[in-house]
Amino acid sequence: MGALSELRPGKKTEGYFAKRGQVLKACIILTAKLFFADPQWIIPSIIAPFIFTLVAFFLFGGQASSSSFLLYLVLGSGLMGMWGTTIYGSSNSIGFDRWNGTMESTLAAPVPLSWIALGRVLFNTFEGVINALLILVIGLVWFQVGFGFVNPGLFFLASVSTFLSLSAFGLLMCTVILLSRKGGFITNSMEIPVYIATGTMFPVSILPIAALPLAFLLAPTWGIEAIRLSAIPGYVGLATNYWTDLALLAVETLAYLVLAFVLFKRVESYAKRNGTLDEY
Amino acid sequence: MSQQIPDPRLAIEVIGLTREYSTRSFFGTVSRVTKALDGIDLSVKTGELFGLIGPNGAGKTTTVKILTTLLTQTSGEAYILGLDVRKDLYEIRRRIGIVFGGERGLYNRVSAMDNLRYFSDLYGVDPAVARERVPQLLKAVGLSDRADERVEKYSRGMKQRLHIAKALVHDPELLVLDEPTIGLDPGGARDIRNMIREMQKQGKTILLTTHYMFEAEELCQRVAVISKGRIVALDSPSELKKLVRDISVIELRTYGATADYVELIKRLPNVVRVIADLDSEVQSIRIQSPLGADLLSQVTSSLPGDAKIIDRTIKEPTLEDAYLRLVEE
Amino acid sequence: MALRVFWGAFLFGRKGLIMWDSWEMWVMQIVITPIAQIGFFALLSIYLQYPPSVTQYIVIGNAIQSMSFAAVFAVANITSQDKWQGTLPSTIVTPANRVALFIGRAWFQVLLAALIAAAGLLYAATIFGVSFADADFLGLAVAVILTSVAMTGFGLLISAVGLYMRTALIVANIFLFVTLLLSGVNFPVSVLPTWLQPVSWAIPLTYGTQAVRMAVAGASFTTLLPTLGWEALDALLVLAAGYALFTGFESLSRRTGRFEEY
Repeated sequence: MGALSELRPGKKTEGYFAKRGQVLKACIILTAKLFFADPQWIIPSIIAPFIFTLVAFFLFGGQASSSSFLLYLVLGSGLMGMWGTTIYGSSNSIGFDRWNGTMESTLAAPVPLSWIALGRVLFNTFEGVINALLILVIGLVWFQVGFGFVNPGLFFLASVSTFLSLSAFGLLMCTVILLSRKGGFITNSMEIPVYIATGTMFPVSILPIAALPLAFLLAPTWGIEAIRLSAIPGYVGLATNYWTDLALLAVETLAYLVLAFVLFKRVESYAKRNGTLDEY
Repeated sequence: MSQQIPDPRLAIEVIGLTREYSTRSFFGTVSRVTKALDGIDLSVKTGELFGLIGPNGAGKTTTVKILTTLLTQTSGEAYILGLDVRKDLYEIRRRIGIVFGGERGLYNRVSAMDNLRYFSDLYGVDPAVARERVPQLLKAVGLSDRADERVEKYSRGMKQRLHIAKALVHDPELLVLDEPTIGLDPGGARDIRNMIREMQKQGKTILLTTHYMFEAEELCQRVAVISKGRIVALDSPSELKKLVRDISVIELRTYGATADYVELIKRLPNVVRVIADLDSEVQSIRIQSPLGADLLSQVTSSLPGDAKIIDRTIKEPTLEDAYLRLVEE
Repeated sequence: MALRVFWGAFLFGRKGLIMWDSWEMWVMQIVITPIAQIGFFALLSIYLQYPPSVTQYIVIGNAIQSMSFAAVFAVANITSQDKWQGTLPSTIVTPANRVALFIGRAWFQVLLAALIAAAGLLYAATIFGVSFADADFLGLAVAVILTSVAMTGFGLLISAVGLYMRTALIVANIFLFVTLLLSGVNFPVSVLPTWLQPVSWAIPLTYGTQAVRMAVAGASFTTLLPTLGWEALDALLVLAAGYALFTGFESLSRRTGRFEEY
């Protein structure tokens, strides 16, 4: 010790986007490192959707012979995997800081909390994408379906868009978790209802009319439609157009983002009024 | 006295700070208001090492949280480096470093290096600068050779040193240390204190809260004593000790002393205060009295037969004695 | 002495699990998740245009399976919680009868699991239109409780693993989902590949779903006895295996000093 005098002075990054970009990158990297420090927790989020698919496969029985149908099944499973990760991993992104004891350090940072949460959410949702890919590959190999997507380019676009909308949703769920003690309960209860409402395994058209508005307000519902339209030959689904689906997705995703940023401001002012976000 | 507010010579300026907590009943009506801070005034000069001491619940942590922009005040003003804590949050945070006491505040599953790189990004340190600065910091706090190990494997003392490195990562002008040596063994605590002294030599302003009076006396140029949400004294340790210059202190170490014995001493004439720690095998009893050595014979003769005094010393009053008088009034 | 330890452990099992202290967790476990799970697979069946009898099959299967979380996962959580809170060494050190201690903690889970299954059957009747007109309620009650006990036994087995390995919770999680596939919950075991079927019959839940369906359809108690008998036997084997693993892992942990490898 005694070397404190030898330290280089701390020059700072300047610029609105440069600062926030730096924070975003740092949070993504930290979340990734924390994830790889203990990766076994990913297993349940791969197993669950895969098992649901196998169950569906046996249920579908004789109908499960056409390859496009199997593709439908496997895609649905992958999508459930993504959703599951968003609900558990993503929405708990910032909640993690709370039980890890780093909430104070996080709140003391000179950047809005929403950007820190976003960085975490992006990685966690991305982990969901990897999950989905793994499930897709396992499923396609197991069921020996060909990789013949209708339009791989559009499929990729739809997948990226769905990833972004899931991230926005995850960010929104972060605020729910932080603002209310019941937040965790709300997000955990949502898991299966969301699989149903976004039409992962069966179209939303078979849901009771009362549930339809909810289904349509969930942006990933449209992403899932777009994914299927671009991957499965002969898929009709909700009889919407691929681009309409993406447009609806974009609009709703933007709405989630705006709402999330607004709510994060509320979270921060709540934290400052009460001095803590530590009540669970 | 037309002073500019905020005063540019002051690193910290606090005027009439209050903080109330209200508990709400089920129906949302306010049922009880607790005043955590009841009108705090203090100022800390640039480059000063300033101490804030007080009993639990006195308002130290509340004050620190307000000054570090983590809590809003109910009324009053506070300026850090000339910036208003209510308005210039992010700018203040960029320029101050905070060390929270205790184990929490670090990411345990990754290495010290990862932690520091993360926080330096969070605080907007230029990445090229950080690449040099982070290893230097680790060396300065003595963690270089274990920098790539997971923090969960660190001892308490090591974690505390890492906390300090983390607080320095963005080269802040002002450091706030909230009980930085709590729970550390004497060697570890001494290392931290040395670091604090060094940081002050760098020209940094330091606000330190502590439970350990000798620490405040050793390190701080000025000390504020806070009790029940108010500042009851603010001065240099030597000036504060003058408050108790009328007394001497007898320190006893005994075997077999009991609470009854302590009561007996308390009732002796000219005894101002007795502080006893009877929990260990060797008890320590600290007696404040103007009489000093003259009291000693009475104290020893009152000792019950089965008890024994191992050691007795007569001392000058310390900051702790002044503190006890101030907070018990 | 064993009885006192048992009762104390029972009360601790009830309070010690943080999860069960808030009304939200109760609502989630007893109302939301069962209905959602039953609903998911029922809707799938409707989408596939299967006859109502198939949908009914699926509904009852999931109604019973939904108890698995409470029975299996929460019990496996006991040792994990002990590890988390650092109380595992202190528990191990007590001379208390091992069996009484851990079974005492699990007993609450048995009741809870039975309650969830009963709630599931209630939803089957009220929301999903399953008819209980012919049901043999005695047989039904016995089947539900026996399955509850058996599945909790499985949870104890997993918690024995939890003494030594970090991954008990993950194993429990995986097991929960595997039951969906293998225990005749959504389709008969006969649909599965032949090599997989013996695994199904090793799981108590498989007998449980079968027995419950028979009871709902009106089978008499005596008709149910063989199935219930196999389930009881299976349960005993599972409990014995759990106990063996438990003492085995305990001495292994003592030898290697690895309790807290969470």
